[in-house]
Amino acid sequence: MTLASAPGDAILETQALTARYGHVRVLAPTDIRVRTGELVAILGPNGAGKSTLLRAILGLTSTTGQVMFQGKPLPRGDAVAVSARGVVLVPEGRGIFGPMTVEENLQLGAYRLGRDKPEFERRLARVLELFPRLGERRAQLAGSMSGGEQQMLAIGRALMGDPKILLLDEPSLGLAPRITAEIFEKLATLRDEGLPILLVEQKAPAALKMATRVYVLSLGRIAASLDADQITSHEDLAQYYFT
Amino acid sequence: MADPTYIAQVLVSGLGTGCIYGLIGIGFCVIYNASGIVNFAQGAFVMLGGMLTQLLLMRYGVPLLPAAAVAIVVVAAMGMLLERLVVRPLWDRNATMFVMILATLAAQIVVERATLLAVGDQPRTLPVFTDVPPLMLGRVAISVQLLWILGASALVIAALTAFFRYTLAGKAMRACSIDREAAALQGIPVKRMLALSFALSAALGATAGILITPTQYTAFNVGVPFAISGFIAAIVGGFGRPLGAFLGGLLLGLVQAGAIAALGSGLKNVAALSMLLVFLFLRPGGILGAAK
Repeated sequence: MTLASAPGDAILETQALTARYGHVRVLAPTDIRVRTGELVAILGPNGAGKSTLLRAILGLTSTTGQVMFQGKPLPRGDAVAVSARGVVLVPEGRGIFGPMTVEENLQLGAYRLGRDKPEFERRLARVLELFPRLGERRAQLAGSMSGGEQQMLAIGRALMGDPKILLLDEPSLGLAPRITAEIFEKLATLRDEGLPILLVEQKAPAALKMATRVYVLSLGRIAASLDADQITSHEDLAQYYFT
Repeated sequence: MADPTYIAQVLVSGLGTGCIYGLIGIGFCVIYNASGIVNFAQGAFVMLGGMLTQLLLMRYGVPLLPAAAVAIVVVAAMGMLLERLVVRPLWDRNATMFVMILATLAAQIVVERATLLAVGDQPRTLPVFTDVPPLMLGRVAISVQLLWILGASALVIAALTAFFRYTLAGKAMRACSIDREAAALQGIPVKRMLALSFALSAALGATAGILITPTQYTAFNVGVPFAISGFIAAIVGGFGRPLGAFLGGLLLGLVQAGAIAALGSGLKNVAALSMLLVFLFLRPGGILGAAK
């Protein structure tokens, strides 16, 4: 296991975090860190526990251990309180509100903002600048859009909450490579603007192109922690799978 | 061959009762959409609406309209209390639907018995809102109270539609009904939405109770039959669909009225349950298709 280098202070840190479903432990004690300005990718084969790790960070599953965010523990079992701290998840399957319009979805992303219209407009302008297609489809029902557009909406909606860190679970799921590349390009833009991102992804090559650091998860435990540029071939990565 | 005027008269009366069932059915949908809970204490809200208005009017001399407004607000607050004391502790423990139904049914009985102890078992009624002779449509008499029921129902549905379509809280409640976890991840306070859904639903029930009391009566034990009718309306309309519940209520009211005209009042519940069975066998999703 190689230790990775750091560009900044840890904004999110798990300490011996475990997760279980019923009596079955699916995540061994796990320590990961995301530092300011980083895009950290969690890679690994299907069933390695990647999505579970994200859910455990948010306290959505039964966990032990601690999750520190900006130096303070994150609340457990209260997604609303976690979101209020600025930790926002774009879930697997996107979790958009399909029977509602794009605009309504974006409004709900900024729910905590209340009636601060100028700030809402500022955030909305930023999201529409990043994803102009959402602007063209403001009045369209979210569920009637293509998978790529729905993923853009899910990310845009998360950004409307002005997150301090963005967690993404398999954003490329079910998307064509061209759309995946487009979405990852936007994530790279957000990373360059300084938004810390923790990305769970199965399509390793795409994730590696923009990640600063990588954790490889295998059979519910961290098999490796690497700088992204340490991985130059598929074999470099594959050696950690199922180890 | 039955007299057409009599049939029309009975159907007109069924329309009024159907609106009431529809409003109660919408109450079921509002809570179910926000939480997945079927609240069988809904009938208690109907009874309390009529009862409180009657008490304020008759015992304390409060004019009808303010009395009705106060009753609706008080019953809405009681809905929130029910949510806080009975539903939320179970919800936090991920209690099953079966447990929730039993708990709300128990709450219904507690409210019913408390009302019996507080005001006795005598039926009570309210004066009609506008004391004028009925309007005549041909030979069919249409009571002004029926117009009140139709008008208030239309107003309630318009207000609910506006609430869910144009307000942030309404949109947040819709989001909770679509995907509760995704809503919580956006920072939408799902538990507060649950409390709000109970308040809304209780206010709807109270409104229904106030509207129907002048044409029937209220007593400590009228809640359960109303709850059952509202529940049937919600299922027939498509569970979770407020407009469907209202249409289901109208259909139920008309079927019951038709049964009374054709078979006698003793068989009106048989007709209601038969209609429910027909829908469950032939169109289980209801008129508009179930929301979930």
